[in-house]
Amino acid sequence: MSALTHQDGPRAAPGFLRRLLSSPSGAIGLAIVLLLIFCALFAEMLAPYNPSKMGAGGRFLPPGGKHLLGTDEFGRDMFSRILFGSRITLLIGAVAVGISLTIGMAVGMIAAFRRGWVEAILMRSTDVLFSFTETLIALSFVAVLGPSLQNAVIAVGVAGIPFYARTCYAAALVETSKPYFDASISAGAGPARLVLVHLLPNVLPTMIVVATLGVSTAILAAAGLSFLGLGAQPPTSEWGYMLAGSRDYINRAPWLMTIPGIAIAVTVLGFNLLGDGLRTSLDPVERK
Amino acid sequence: MSALLSVKDLSVSLGGKTLVDKISFDVAPGEVLSIVGESGSGKSMTAKALMGLLPPKASATGTAMFDGANLLARDTQTLRGTGIGLIFQEPMTALTPVLTIGLQLTEALESHGLCSKAEARRRAIEMLDRVGIPEPSARMHQYPHELSGGMRQRVVIAMMMLLGPRVLIADEPTTALDVTVQAQILDLLRQIVHETQIGLILITHDMGVVAEMADHVLVMKAGKAEELGPANELFASPTAAYTRELLKAVPRIDAVSAGTELDAQTLLSVRSITKTFQTRGALFKSGAGHRALDDVSLDVRRGETLALVGESGSGKTTLGRVIARLTSADAVQVLLEDSDLTGLAGRDLQARRRAVQMVFQDPYASLDPRQTVGRTIAEPMIIHDALTKAERKQRIESLLEKVGLGVDMARGYPHEFSGGQRQRIAIARAMAARPTLVIADEPTSALDVSIQARVLDLLEGLKQSEDLTMLFISHDLAVVRQIADRVAVMRNGRILELGPASALFAAPKHPYTRALIDVAPVPDPTRKRGKRPVLQGDYPAGPLKEVDAGHWVAE
Amino acid sequence: MWRFLGTRIAMGAFTIWITTILVTLLIHAVPGDPVQIMYAQSQGTTPEQIEEVRRSLGLDRPIPVQYVMYMERLLQGDLGATIRGGQPVLEVILQRLPNTLLLAIAAMFIAIVIGVPLGFLAAYREGTLTDIALMIVAIAGISMPHFWLGLMLLFFFALELGWLPVSGNGWLNLVLPALTLGLSNAAIFARLTRSSMIDVMSQDYVQTAFAKGLPKALVLRRHVLRAGLLPVVTMMGLQFAFMMGGAIVVENIFSWNGVGRMAVEAIFQRDYPIIQGFILTFSVVVVCVAIGIDALYAVLDPRIRRS
Repeated sequence: MSALTHQDGPRAAPGFLRRLLSSPSGAIGLAIVLLLIFCALFAEMLAPYNPSKMGAGGRFLPPGGKHLLGTDEFGRDMFSRILFGSRITLLIGAVAVGISLTIGMAVGMIAAFRRGWVEAILMRSTDVLFSFTETLIALSFVAVLGPSLQNAVIAVGVAGIPFYARTCYAAALVETSKPYFDASISAGAGPARLVLVHLLPNVLPTMIVVATLGVSTAILAAAGLSFLGLGAQPPTSEWGYMLAGSRDYINRAPWLMTIPGIAIAVTVLGFNLLGDGLRTSLDPVERK
Repeated sequence: MSALLSVKDLSVSLGGKTLVDKISFDVAPGEVLSIVGESGSGKSMTAKALMGLLPPKASATGTAMFDGANLLARDTQTLRGTGIGLIFQEPMTALTPVLTIGLQLTEALESHGLCSKAEARRRAIEMLDRVGIPEPSARMHQYPHELSGGMRQRVVIAMMMLLGPRVLIADEPTTALDVTVQAQILDLLRQIVHETQIGLILITHDMGVVAEMADHVLVMKAGKAEELGPANELFASPTAAYTRELLKAVPRIDAVSAGTELDAQTLLSVRSITKTFQTRGALFKSGAGHRALDDVSLDVRRGETLALVGESGSGKTTLGRVIARLTSADAVQVLLEDSDLTGLAGRDLQARRRAVQMVFQDPYASLDPRQTVGRTIAEPMIIHDALTKAERKQRIESLLEKVGLGVDMARGYPHEFSGGQRQRIAIARAMAARPTLVIADEPTSALDVSIQARVLDLLEGLKQSEDLTMLFISHDLAVVRQIADRVAVMRNGRILELGPASALFAAPKHPYTRALIDVAPVPDPTRKRGKRPVLQGDYPAGPLKEVDAGHWVAE
Repeated sequence: MWRFLGTRIAMGAFTIWITTILVTLLIHAVPGDPVQIMYAQSQGTTPEQIEEVRRSLGLDRPIPVQYVMYMERLLQGDLGATIRGGQPVLEVILQRLPNTLLLAIAAMFIAIVIGVPLGFLAAYREGTLTDIALMIVAIAGISMPHFWLGLMLLFFFALELGWLPVSGNGWLNLVLPALTLGLSNAAIFARLTRSSMIDVMSQDYVQTAFAKGLPKALVLRRHVLRAGLLPVVTMMGLQFAFMMGGAIVVENIFSWNGVGRMAVEAIFQRDYPIIQGFILTFSVVVVCVAIGIDALYAVLDPRIRRS
């Protein structure tokens, strides 16, 4: 295309990373998320035992010694289960947010761009869906399709669509009302160019922040469904499911309850902090 | 006469940067001191320092002697309001939206313990009356959103004056208001100074306002005092180079512009444009709309600069946007060079659009922040012209040069550039489409005076060199005077007067035009207007009749 | 103001109407034969009985007809009967609904009473250690899964310390579930209140108030608080909906006899009439509360009240 240097974003990009790392929340969040990704990728190598292997050690062994985090009611090694659980958790977050984000952004951008009756229908439908609340949508999905981790993830993904649609719509409205948008229209740009070249890149930073924070919501929602037995089924080492199983043994083996909970909390915390950090570091670039 | 306020070597620094550098001035009773400067001059910081309202990390040094004590050295909370009052720039956001006007007027009186509740209420109503607000007792129960901008500013003035300050600081009190409302507020301030003999510090960037109001003037630049002196002397023979620059850059409504030879050929013709904005009615019914344009017809001649002038709500921006096909209209006919642009849609419209390009008011939102300058300028070329990369690059560079920017700026992103530079880029982009008509919508209103002058010079230069036809939209008559060949005056969606600039300014035929010209501040203290009649009421707004050659007036 | 409320009420009615449609369609989204699935778990149902159920539910008729049948019955207060035991769904729901509402309201109360003042405090001391500490606690609170918090509270207070009963339906039983729900949401309210207050404090009109010489406490109380609470009120409707959702899980943990627990059991038992009834009820409750809060907002914000 152009002979000029093509850069994939404002030249402040390297500065942005520095800014993210300089804010404590951003740095900690990034560290946690990176750790999580590391665990997920290398679970096989890091886990001392097969997470589904019953009787890998004695039952209800407390944390320490050969079993770093103890064993559960079937004698499965908790540490390995937690490690593999991180992979599942990340997948859940990625897929659910992936669904919500892509569909939500499409709806939001089209509504903001087209205006008129298209906008009205899309946004009203979103409002209606929104008032159902995510939990209800997720529940209905599972009720219809049956409990399984897959269905739970899809349910959470679909349930999140209204939120992303609304956020994207609001951000897109702001951009389409700016003069540079009019200028491109005047220059003769067609809808494809307007949406893909001008609207999308400007809406993306906001949506990235929202998506990062949304990963936490998705993970919590899916874990909640698994906790109720509506999501992950045995013997999956999903953290919410592990929490459900720990209920019967609260007195006998409290670590079965504490450890998965901490894992979820830390993961969610990591994404929340990262999202917060992203939000503060992306802002200044957009102002003058 | 002893000064009310005596400031010596006031300095303000924030985070290691010096925002105000050793400013000194005095304010005597019954006197108006105007602090004038462009953005970044430190004038607002000076005001905040005097009031003790600096941001937490900022610090002030020096002395500001008021009532025998140094304002900068003590906690000013008790003095605020009762000793010194401050009026901000934005009347729309100066009042708390969830509290009644009455409460906001009386609370300070009660808080300072100056009088009882009932007495406070009585005084508030009296003051509202004094500042010229009709039905003062009814207003007490109203909320800010029920009042117009001008009224809100009056309320703010009343609010401050109620506390009986001896010095009043007004920070750009009229910048956000229409020029007619501005005149009234300035009159009000002048009257208050005269009646109460307070000292008024008027902070502004507008030399016309300074000339109108000030007895003494302090010129600031980048935190430093450039010049301080009586208004008459400063305007007549400025000593500082910066003051001279500033005065030269200010467009004057009474300037004499050279007449241009006009080509009588009509380039653009719009007929009977009507546009109604629907206000949101209950549920799905449509309510009575707001008529932005009412049966407007206009011709633009080849090579000329036609100005659309009016206050806010006149419809001038809407007209520009309708012509550029950025806003739809209920009834419209747009003929450009004998081809009808009206009915076009979709691909056809996209192809023909390039003929009309716009330059917008806000330089900070006019450029896509995620595109390089080069790409932004190249966009019309990319869409319409089949050029090679090299050819495009060449065109971009030549355009950048034409608008006075360096060619290496093509690689930069908008946030690296200043407001004035961004407007130049926007102009380059408009020209890249090789348009037949350029519509400039308040292109310099958001810029500092000195930058404005340079951008206007650029536009005038381009007009000659590129043979541009331009539709120039503005609320500032002085700017219009400088740049326009013909002028159309608009109000409430109708054109009230249309004619050659020289004729219109020398001898305006429509009462509204006359009032607008009257009310515009002139940067010459010897030409103070004095109190002006209120600009209200009905003006003839009927169909246009030609009263002179090429000069139409509504009747 | 009435225009504002009218629109909201219309939207609410529309939402409920859409819900009825979706609820009717729900059964058909089930892969396989819904009736077979419903009775898969109960022994000894003859094919004739299954046909009987199919006919009574109208599943053998075209969908629009089914919808009309459903609406007819709905308007008469008949939500169908449960698969097990044949009790009227409406009865089952109405027995349990008050418990859930009680839980949600108690949790909301806790969330507001703890969250809002802390958020305000954090804003007042913005940038100081207090602020940072409070926000750390808040973000930890948001990150914690509420079911985990519930389990922990159950463990400590009921099992270990024995202060509160483990399950049951008395008043004391309300404490732990309400705390569980309430505390997680308190964090959200705290963050929201804080950012709203900080935003308001940077507004021009607050500067004006200071310029008049009003003392800081007065400015905060009168100008900042009222303006800053408005967005928080708006959020309350949304948060109530979330709380209703959260109640489903919490009821499960503490064996609290509300509609949430009923719904989860119904899902496992494939008791579609109850699931349908639950969805409808949930929708209606959320919509009504949302409208109520919108009305409250309309009264509090003079810009809407006087328009």
